[in-house]
Amino acid sequence: MQKRLIAFTAMAALTAFGVLAQDAEDPFADVVETRHGLMLQMASDLGTLGGMAKGEVAYDQASASKAAANVAAVASVLSMAQFPAGSEVEKAADSFALPDIWAKQDDFLAKITDLNNAASAMQTAAATDVDALKASMAQLGGACSACHKAYRQPES
Amino acid sequence: MSRLPQAVLGVALLGAAAFWLLTAPSSVSPSDYDGLVGDAKAGESVFWAAGCASCHAAADASGPDELVLAGGQKFATGFGTFVAPNISPDKQHGIGGWTLVQFANAVTQGVSPEGEHLYPALPYAAYNKMLPQDVADLKAFMDTLPASATPSAPHEISFPFTIRRALGLWKLMFASTDWVITGDLTPEQTRGRYIAEALAHCGECHTPRNALGGVQRGKWLAGATNPDGKGKTPNITPGKLTWSAADVVEYLTSGFTPEFDSVGGHMAHVVENMAKLPESDRQAVAAYLQLVPPVK
Repeated sequence: MQKRLIAFTAMAALTAFGVLAQDAEDPFADVVETRHGLMLQMASDLGTLGGMAKGEVAYDQASASKAAANVAAVASVLSMAQFPAGSEVEKAADSFALPDIWAKQDDFLAKITDLNNAASAMQTAAATDVDALKASMAQLGGACSACHKAYRQPES
Repeated sequence: MSRLPQAVLGVALLGAAAFWLLTAPSSVSPSDYDGLVGDAKAGESVFWAAGCASCHAAADASGPDELVLAGGQKFATGFGTFVAPNISPDKQHGIGGWTLVQFANAVTQGVSPEGEHLYPALPYAAYNKMLPQDVADLKAFMDTLPASATPSAPHEISFPFTIRRALGLWKLMFASTDWVITGDLTPEQTRGRYIAEALAHCGECHTPRNALGGVQRGKWLAGATNPDGKGKTPNITPGKLTWSAADVVEYLTSGFTPEFDSVGGHMAHVVENMAKLPESDRQAVAAYLQLVPPVK
C-alpha cells in the first residue's frame, strides 16, 4: 500500500514537473491560443456574412448585423497585449507571427486601426443590404490580408 | 585517321553555328504593332491583371507607392538571385525611352532593346500570349506612372547562368505560345484562360518546374515548391481545390478562403491585383479553373 502511494506521489510529482517544465519552455502558449481563438471567432462570424455575400444564404438584416457587431468587437480587442515581445514564429509553439510585428510596431498597429475602420464600415453595410455587405467584405478582407501579408508567416 | 580531328572540328563548328542560330533573340513582328494606339485606361486593367507592380514596386510598397516601379525586390531561386529592374518611365534608369516594339519584345519575347535575352524571372513564357493591343494599352498606362531615378541593380547570379545566349535554348524548350487548356471554350472560359495563362501567369508559381526551370505543363497548376525554395504553392486543379466558383470569386475579391482564413504571402499581392478587375474577370478565372485537368 505504501509502495503504491510512493509510486503515485512520484508519478504525480513527475507529471506536475513535466507540466511546469512545458510551461517554462513556452510562456506564450496562452497568448498564442488567445490570438488563434480571436481569429477563429472572427472567421465564424465572417462565415455568416460571407454566406450571404456569396448568395449561398439569403440576406437577413438581423443576423448580418449581429455577426458584423461581433467582428467589430473582436477587432477592438486586438492590440499589442496579445503580441508580447518574443511570441513569434520558431520561438513560441504554433506561432506564425513574424518578428517584423515588433520591428515595425507602428505599422502593425496602424493595420489594426485599418481593420477596426473596415469592421465599423461593415456594421453599417451589414444593416443596409446585400450589395453593401459584399463591398464591405472586400474592404475587410483587404485589411486582413494587408496584415497577414506583412506579418504572418505563410503556412507549409 | 588524320581526318578524325577535322571531322570533330567540323561537328563542333556545326554545333556552334546551330547554337548561335537557335539561340538568336527573337522579335515580335513590327507589323503587328503598326498603328496601334495604346489606351491608358484599358491598360490599367492589363497592368493589375499582369501583376507588374507586385514584383517591380518596392517590397513593402502599398497604396500610391505601388505605382512607383523602381525595382529592387530580390527573388532568390536555385539559379541565383534576380533583382527586379526599374521599369518606371524614367528615360535614363527606367524604360521611358522605349518604343512600343521594344516594350513588346521585352514583355512578350524576353528580349531587351539591346537584343539580349532577359531572364525568365520576367514571366514572358506567359506574357508571350498577350494580345498586341493589350501590350500597347499596358505601355500607355505605364507611361503615366511616376518616374524613378533609382538605378537598376545587377542580378546576383553566377556562371553558367550568366551566359544569356543560352536562354535562347531555354525559350525554345519552355516558352511555348500554345495554350495549356485547349478545346471548345465558352467566351467566359476563354477570357479566364487569357487572364490565368497569359496575364496573371498563375502557372509560374502553381505549376512544378523541371531541373532546368521549365514549367511542367503536364502538371498544370498542380502545386509546386515556391520559387525561393521555401514552402509550397497549393494544387489548384479540381483534383484538390474543391471550392465552388463563388468561393474562388470571393477569394480573389476579399482574400477569404471558404473557412474565412485570409490570404497571406505573395498570393496577397495577387488578390489585391485581381480585386481591382471587374467581377466578370474573377468569375472567368473561376470558370477556367474548373476546366483544368484534375491532379490528385
